[in-house]
Amino acid sequence: MSFRRFLIKRTAIAALLTLIAVSVIFATLRLLPADPFSALVASGSLTPAEVEQIRAMYGLDDPIYVQYFRYIQNLFTFEFGISLTQQRPVGEIIVPALVNTLVLLLPALVVTAIVSSLAGMYAGWNRGSWFEQSSIVVTTVFRAVPIFVTGIFLLIIFSYGLGWLPAFGMRSPLANPQGYVATFASVDFLKHYILPFTATVLFYSGDFLMLARNSVVERKGSEFLMLHRAKGLSEMEQLGRAGRNSLLPLVTYFALRTGMLFQGVITLEVVFAWPGIGRALVQAILNQDYPTVQAAVFIMALAVIVMNLTADLAYAKLDPTVEAGDV
Amino acid sequence: MSLLEVNDVKIAYRMPGDDVHAVNDVSFSIDEGDNYGLVGESGCGKSTLAKSVLGLLDDNGEVREGSIEFDGRELLELSERDWQSVRWEDIAYIPQSAMDSLDPVMTVGAQIRQAIRKHRDVSKAAANERVAEVFEMVGLDPDRTGDYPHQFSGGMRQRVTIAMALALDPDLLIADEPTTGLDVIVQDKIMDKLIEIQEEIDSSLLMITHDVGVVAETCDEMSVLYGGKVMEQGETDRIFRSPTNPYTIGLKNAFPEVDEFDEQAISIPGSLPDLTEEPTGCVFRNRCPFATERCEDGHPPLDEAGGQLSACYYTDRADELREEAADPATWGIDVRDERDRSGGVGDTILETRGLEKWFKQPQGILEDLRGAEPDYVKAVNSVDLSVHEGEIVGVAGESGCGKSTLAEVIAALQERTGGEILIEGTPVDDLLGESTKEFRSRVQFIFQDPFDSLNPRQRVRAAVGEPLKIQGHDPETIDRRVRETIEDVGLKPAEKYLDQLPTQLSGGERQRVAIAQALVLEPTLLICDEPASMLDVSLKANILNILREKADERDIGIVYISHDLASLTQIADRLAVMYLGRIAEIGATEDVVTAPKHPYTASLLSASPKTDPDVDRQRVLLPGEPPNPVNLPEGCNFAPRCPKADETCRGEEPARATFADDDHEAACYHPVEDVESELLERYAAAREEEVGEIVESELTL
Repeated sequence: MSFRRFLIKRTAIAALLTLIAVSVIFATLRLLPADPFSALVASGSLTPAEVEQIRAMYGLDDPIYVQYFRYIQNLFTFEFGISLTQQRPVGEIIVPALVNTLVLLLPALVVTAIVSSLAGMYAGWNRGSWFEQSSIVVTTVFRAVPIFVTGIFLLIIFSYGLGWLPAFGMRSPLANPQGYVATFASVDFLKHYILPFTATVLFYSGDFLMLARNSVVERKGSEFLMLHRAKGLSEMEQLGRAGRNSLLPLVTYFALRTGMLFQGVITLEVVFAWPGIGRALVQAILNQDYPTVQAAVFIMALAVIVMNLTADLAYAKLDPTVEAGDV
Repeated sequence: MSLLEVNDVKIAYRMPGDDVHAVNDVSFSIDEGDNYGLVGESGCGKSTLAKSVLGLLDDNGEVREGSIEFDGRELLELSERDWQSVRWEDIAYIPQSAMDSLDPVMTVGAQIRQAIRKHRDVSKAAANERVAEVFEMVGLDPDRTGDYPHQFSGGMRQRVTIAMALALDPDLLIADEPTTGLDVIVQDKIMDKLIEIQEEIDSSLLMITHDVGVVAETCDEMSVLYGGKVMEQGETDRIFRSPTNPYTIGLKNAFPEVDEFDEQAISIPGSLPDLTEEPTGCVFRNRCPFATERCEDGHPPLDEAGGQLSACYYTDRADELREEAADPATWGIDVRDERDRSGGVGDTILETRGLEKWFKQPQGILEDLRGAEPDYVKAVNSVDLSVHEGEIVGVAGESGCGKSTLAEVIAALQERTGGEILIEGTPVDDLLGESTKEFRSRVQFIFQDPFDSLNPRQRVRAAVGEPLKIQGHDPETIDRRVRETIEDVGLKPAEKYLDQLPTQLSGGERQRVAIAQALVLEPTLLICDEPASMLDVSLKANILNILREKADERDIGIVYISHDLASLTQIADRLAVMYLGRIAEIGATEDVVTAPKHPYTASLLSASPKTDPDVDRQRVLLPGEPPNPVNLPEGCNFAPRCPKADETCRGEEPARATFADDDHEAACYHPVEDVESELLERYAAAREEEVGEIVESELTL
């Protein structure tokens, strides 16, 4: 099967999955026993007639299928509607929060994926060494401890104890930069950035380290490495080939982890008071702000699906044998 | 001075608990341009020795004593960095399993280029030129250097590794079982190529193999290894003509020849010695029928005996030993009465009529919607086969010819797509009707790999008793029949084996447990898919004997699938040869082997190596590989590779009985009369022509 056919097939499946996911989100919210406005009637501030008027304004009196199609149509243009509690477009709330989260997590994930994988490969190659054993113990501890606990410890040591770094937020209260460049390319931001970044790197390092180590250990006895060695390759060159052959699980895991990035970090954002999408979602749910919840959940679902697709495609590119079979 | 000199080398592996002394005091030397063979069964230390010459021992292995000199230079004192420059530049290596030896995520060209550029300071373009050159030398298409290993067949991958070994013109080539796992015809072509090239570039060759025939045909000198010791050493011709060591004699007897069909296979009883201590007596004494007290007294020294060196206290009695060793009784094997091998004696147990198994090829969604007829791989294509009581029917063929699929379809492990299967006259569908119990109690299967086919957590008692349990027998019957069957397959006394786990058993013992598992239900039909191919020669014969015995004693019909013609001719009453899903030829084993009619059968038979040094065999240089089974040509499947094919062959597929002489049938319009002149010489001529064309095209460039 050609790569193009593989690509088309995978993309079609991803698109279908997205449609299913948004339909589920749509249906779930309609199944809730009350809508956001009925509370207003109960509190006595609006009459039923006025509520009807508001519902008509939001298009909630149309038949369900009309609402569904309008919802799908709007999603295609990334039109998420108006927030019920903040009276501004959901996009204005979600996008900056999303950017903040990505700025924190993506670099952290990339750094830990590269550094921990390399360390893991080295550990697997030198099985039984001091480095292997200590690296496993250290990273497993950070993986086992919840990320907010690591975060709190970092805060206690570096903010309150040593007073080197600020404790919360992503900028000083007085700074009020405009635009992304001014926001993210400043020393002030960097100071706020170090602690949550470190916590994330430490948290995910165990996964990549163990994965890389295990697959290198598996490769180590293989015939083709023996032949590489017989050809006169140096120790490091051999490790390079073993590493290249171990990339598959790592890339897959990296893609899946990136897709699920938004779920694991809500506690981290709360501990460091990081204005990210996790915090936005928590607030929206508390306020029963359904358009915002819908949008946030949609973005999370989309991220998982897109990254799954990326993993599949990376697979086909990294492993020449994948293309041959029907995957 | 010799090129490689190995002197009194001792190699041990550190294991938790005890060290394993894999190689003890082995010496040999290879002169420039010579071919040297190291022969022995698994565990004899031959691969360990080869690896030590390249400094490739596993981390827990070390050379404890002795010296390995290459070109006057002591290899054991080299630093890792010096090793790296010796490897491939001076000594290249052809690995055992070409299937796993190539880096799966690197193009084959890049892998060879890597070897070149590691040692030579050349540009990428120059390296690529060399890659194309060596590709041509081994007979691969130089345009395919950009392909990945999985795009090549097993035989072609082995050619890639040979091409890689040639890339730097090394002085010594070490080939570690270079053809194990390949079909005979492919093996023959690869060996021919290897020897031809090696003579051309004038390098020495260290050939490591368990295949006595391969060594007999390729090596000038050899050592026979057993239990980490040299048993016999000297000129290959001499050793095979008159072996003086009981082990060599046994090994040679156990190695079957294709045309020895009336002899009982002779196996060496017992198993390998425990190597956790350095040997105190002759390493072979516990399996040797001639051992005396004197043999306890340290391993015998390698002494001059009739022109070669032999480690045995009784070399002076060698002639006598050889004679006695030819009698199976010497080795503790019950001598069978010579049976009638006419076949078709009892009632018919299995009959297939036009049996078909087609695998649908995946096609595009659009083609599906248009309702296009999908392509099929016709793995089994209208096969008629019958098996009678007490008869062993051998099915031979190269890998991919459909023989394993045939076995699985008959055993109802796969659905058939067409045709009929009758077991004792009853269609299988009736037997399978309500549950598979009835069918399974009549038809049993023995798998190829005894290491994978037994549940590692199940003790022998449970493994053999399981089929009875499924059939609903009571515990006492189960216990009784398990014991009986285990002893029946030669695991005596049963108590010793009942509570063992598969890991505690040797390969031969495991396969016997697998056979017991199949026999315990007293089936009428037994299907064996290469049951002995993973075992050493000395054990292989044993498995063959057990199967033959059971067929005779219990009147079981056996379908024996194998690519190993020699063991088939020893065991089978009738022989069927398959090519691309069809039976090309079938008949009484003796008829098929002595007078093959189908050109494919004739080629297959001539490709088996011979241990007799006096036979000068012409190699089978059958052109090409089996065609893609998806789009088979019209007419006879074999026509594209057949030197006798004409328009009739390409036009219409020959029926199986196109040639018929009693039971002997061949699907061929032009049955072979003289193998030598009609096939082998034509193959060779066709190849010369091909080589000539390449040379010419190079000249014009």
